[in-house]
Amino acid sequence: MSDKTNIYKPIRAKLLKVITESPTIKTFIMEPEEEFSFKTGEFIELTVDGIGEAPFTPSSSPLETKQIEVTVMKTGYVTEYLHNMKAGETLGIRGPYGRGYPIEKFYDKEVIILGGGCGFAPIRSLLYNLAAVSDKLRKVTLCYGSKTPDECIYKPYVEELKSTPKFEVLRTVDIADDTWTESVGVATVLLDKIKIDIKNSIAVCCGPPIMMKYGTIRFLELGYKDEDIYLSMEKNMSCGLGKCGHCMMGEYFVCKEGPVFTYNEIKHNPAIWE
Amino acid sequence: MKNFYSLLYPDWNSAIDKLLANYSIYAPVKTGETLDYEIIDSENIAEITYNIPKPTTPLKTFFLPIKENLTSKFNSKSKKIIIGTPNCDIQGLKIQDEIYLDKDYIDTTYKEKRDNTILIASSCFETQEHCHCMTYAIQPFPKEIADISISRVDTRMHLEVLSEKGEIFISELKNYAAVSNSPESEIKDIELKQSKIENEITENNSGLPDYKKTGKIVQKAKEEIWNKYSSKCVSCGACATICPTCTCFLLIDKPNFEKVRQLDACQYPGFERVAGDEDALGELPKRFKNRYFCKYVWKPQKFKSLVCTGCGRCIEACIGKINKNELFRELA
Repeated sequence: MSDKTNIYKPIRAKLLKVITESPTIKTFIMEPEEEFSFKTGEFIELTVDGIGEAPFTPSSSPLETKQIEVTVMKTGYVTEYLHNMKAGETLGIRGPYGRGYPIEKFYDKEVIILGGGCGFAPIRSLLYNLAAVSDKLRKVTLCYGSKTPDECIYKPYVEELKSTPKFEVLRTVDIADDTWTESVGVATVLLDKIKIDIKNSIAVCCGPPIMMKYGTIRFLELGYKDEDIYLSMEKNMSCGLGKCGHCMMGEYFVCKEGPVFTYNEIKHNPAIWE
Repeated sequence: MKNFYSLLYPDWNSAIDKLLANYSIYAPVKTGETLDYEIIDSENIAEITYNIPKPTTPLKTFFLPIKENLTSKFNSKSKKIIIGTPNCDIQGLKIQDEIYLDKDYIDTTYKEKRDNTILIASSCFETQEHCHCMTYAIQPFPKEIADISISRVDTRMHLEVLSEKGEIFISELKNYAAVSNSPESEIKDIELKQSKIENEITENNSGLPDYKKTGKIVQKAKEEIWNKYSSKCVSCGACATICPTCTCFLLIDKPNFEKVRQLDACQYPGFERVAGDEDALGELPKRFKNRYFCKYVWKPQKFKSLVCTGCGRCIEACIGKINKNELFRELA
């Protein structure tokens, strides 16, 4: 865990391996120098020494305590430095922070997960966790969208998941190529391809803001209750401690009260999709 | 009265001189037209100004400096006495304490500074043009949070003890000066002055919506209002920098995993920018509106403390001459 005497001080983590997932996305496998564990959906602050710090939700299983993985899209200053890092180098981590997924509330339910792009990262951690408690779940369906087949991440994991009992995976891409045999279109089109027992189901949505917005609208149209739609909100979670103010979303500090919210908790704020 | 102690002004001054051996002491000193905290030494003790409204710099700066390394130990353990803080600033500490001493994540750098500081706040016996603490039910004299409330009446200083730390300070003070209980008549004098100022501030701000109304006003305000008032804003962030309750910050990374905190302001472009350049507050009117929602709607839902204490500094500091009270009066 992070240093209790100094909440801003990261612990060190050795970078063990870097996996290229897509042209713009890499997974970083790290071994923290001190004990570190998290619940699925909670996030960490990852420091590239002397460069900067950014929030990431681990993509690895919360049940794995020796190593931790984050999957990162190259989109800015810190992530560009991160993408250039090699195994053996040292990173800093603080956390875990925030409120993750309330797995117990998913028991006896069918879990529909809508994910897009790099939003698969937190979802993979959730899927690992759900697989470990699958005897308590009805079914888990992953509906995942990315821009192109090239940008579909976790390809080996998806294959593994397809053969896991109670798990189903549907994928779509915005722009297909000759090799693509699955759906084409935005991620929400996948929701029309599955039969859901809405009353005994909960929905999870994690991806770019536009997908979160239209995904939520679609889940509502399908008849999900506001409190059964779980959204992983992305804001500028800079300190992770409910202090720096950068991630304020209405009356919430997303870093502390989130990043996972039910739609019911945030629907009164029209600016949530901005 | 048990909690009121009194000593002669010259004795108080010589006691300060002796206290300088153990404490760094800061107090308001008037330089030309400017009143601000100065480091007190033997030479300027007599220049300390008592019982007048706010120094230019808000009290928060002592506990949340503009820039500070949070991972290297510097001088946060040095003991300080801050004299002459008005109640608007003292009340501003409440929200800071709620955020920085939040039991889930105690900010030890902040806590050390709070623990090592004796706050000798002061009653206001004067008011300034933009003072409006009473609108938000904050009296112009401290009764809590600070350790001592100080008043100068003619040749005597009166120290009202407000905390245990204040009680300990009085014991220490007794080593350096003859301290007695304040006579009832002089306490009455102080109370009369306090109530005169209360009335004056209330009268000066009649019709200004109170804290129960401001939130609803902000929520109901149409976009045209934000566009109109923000049209004069240049995103300089002075309003937030000078505000006793604005405490947002940026974490800056330095080599060897060091973290530096630098005060930030939601009025600066990029405050909410995330990876991929999505920025919910990218447009100026949105940033401007955000500050009002933060102060009058969101933080009041989230915290017990007030997030505007009516000090009026944001009005004085604005180079675009934006007056938030004009906005509230227009919409009242």
